[in-house]
Amino acid sequence: MRNAIETRGLSYRAGSFELRDVELSVPAGSIYGFLGPNGAGKTTTIRLLLGMARPAGGAIRLLGHEVPAELPAALARIGYVPERPHVYGALTVAEAMRYHGAFWPDWDGAWADSLRRRFDLPADRRVSRLSKGETGKLLILLALGQRPELLVLDEPTDGLDPMVRRDVLTAVLDYVAETGATVFISSHLVHELERICDWVGVIDHGRLVAELPIDAFKSGVKRIRLAGAPPEPSDAPFTVLSRFDDGLATGETWVVRGWQDPMRQYFTGAGATVRDVVDLDLEEVFVELLRSSRHAVR
Amino acid sequence: MFEGVDARSPVPLYEQIAARIRVAVAAREFAEGDALPSVRQLAASLRVNPATVVQAYRDLEREGFVEMRHGAGTFVRALPESKRTEERTRQARRLVRDLIAEAARMGIGVDALAEALRAELEQAHA
Repeated sequence: MRNAIETRGLSYRAGSFELRDVELSVPAGSIYGFLGPNGAGKTTTIRLLLGMARPAGGAIRLLGHEVPAELPAALARIGYVPERPHVYGALTVAEAMRYHGAFWPDWDGAWADSLRRRFDLPADRRVSRLSKGETGKLLILLALGQRPELLVLDEPTDGLDPMVRRDVLTAVLDYVAETGATVFISSHLVHELERICDWVGVIDHGRLVAELPIDAFKSGVKRIRLAGAPPEPSDAPFTVLSRFDDGLATGETWVVRGWQDPMRQYFTGAGATVRDVVDLDLEEVFVELLRSSRHAVR
Repeated sequence: MFEGVDARSPVPLYEQIAARIRVAVAAREFAEGDALPSVRQLAASLRVNPATVVQAYRDLEREGFVEMRHGAGTFVRALPESKRTEERTRQARRLVRDLIAEAARMGIGVDALAEALRAELEQAHA
């Protein structure tokens, strides 16, 4: 099994929202960041993957299982943390763990309890009385306690304070180091994913805009400051995502994808001077990609 | 030792981690036979992908700095003095390269930079 998650031509429609031809390839053993602004289709994609919504078309494979035909076999091996808590408030933490564990064949009660202590969650506290951060930790604990081969996390740290975010991510990374499990993590918090992901998929307006190893994603996109008359970009050896005169310096600024240093010749040959080539961080690449993909759609 | 490992930097995280360890080995912060932190420990404490740490350790092994013993851990190898010197030279060149690039961005010419470097060095050794 090369890919833990694979979709081909995945489509879905609800009202005016449309997911079109989403083709995900999430390599087994990777930590895959599924990035997109709010409303881009992240949660919808996850719900389709896990059988909670019915696609209008396309194929899904999870851990080698065809979905929906073999969904139960796939779900038995998947830990899922939804965007909103799904635990009964009347149960205590210990009861919630026993209840959840009863559904999963590989539930490891002793390990789950050691996580509970590491997370400082009181066993006898009612779920309804947990703080937001404690609830977040409980949900991660429940998913990890299943000993899943694939973890699907939908905005797992959204709204949590930095201490809790750190605890949660550390627990996930520790589990990955131990087991080699695949993690599919959706977020609009780009910086958080920058440290931990080795693959990135970007979704916007229901379309997958990019899917790349993170180093390729970051290294190929540059901001280039130019002096002199910039040539028309039709024959450029790279893709121009955007070009503008920001008024901060003389000349234009271009944001390009697929840049390699010998491509400077392209500008010098056209009578322009490359003043500076600046690297972008993940968030800037993300913003530029969205800008250019939205521009292309219009 | 791993302070300032920066995910936003264009230098890949595995390369940043490997670079820190090379420096530590060259500076004798690690002695022959010392164990590096386990992949799991280091990934959790830096909050990076374990695969990133593995890649850093593999690169260091290929370069002869460390030895990965299956199931036991990763250990610093005996390094000839020449290799330590070579590594320090490499780091020095890199620092200067970064400095030159930054100066160029500010429109500072090579002569002005060399003069400033000389003055600062004199002051540092005064």
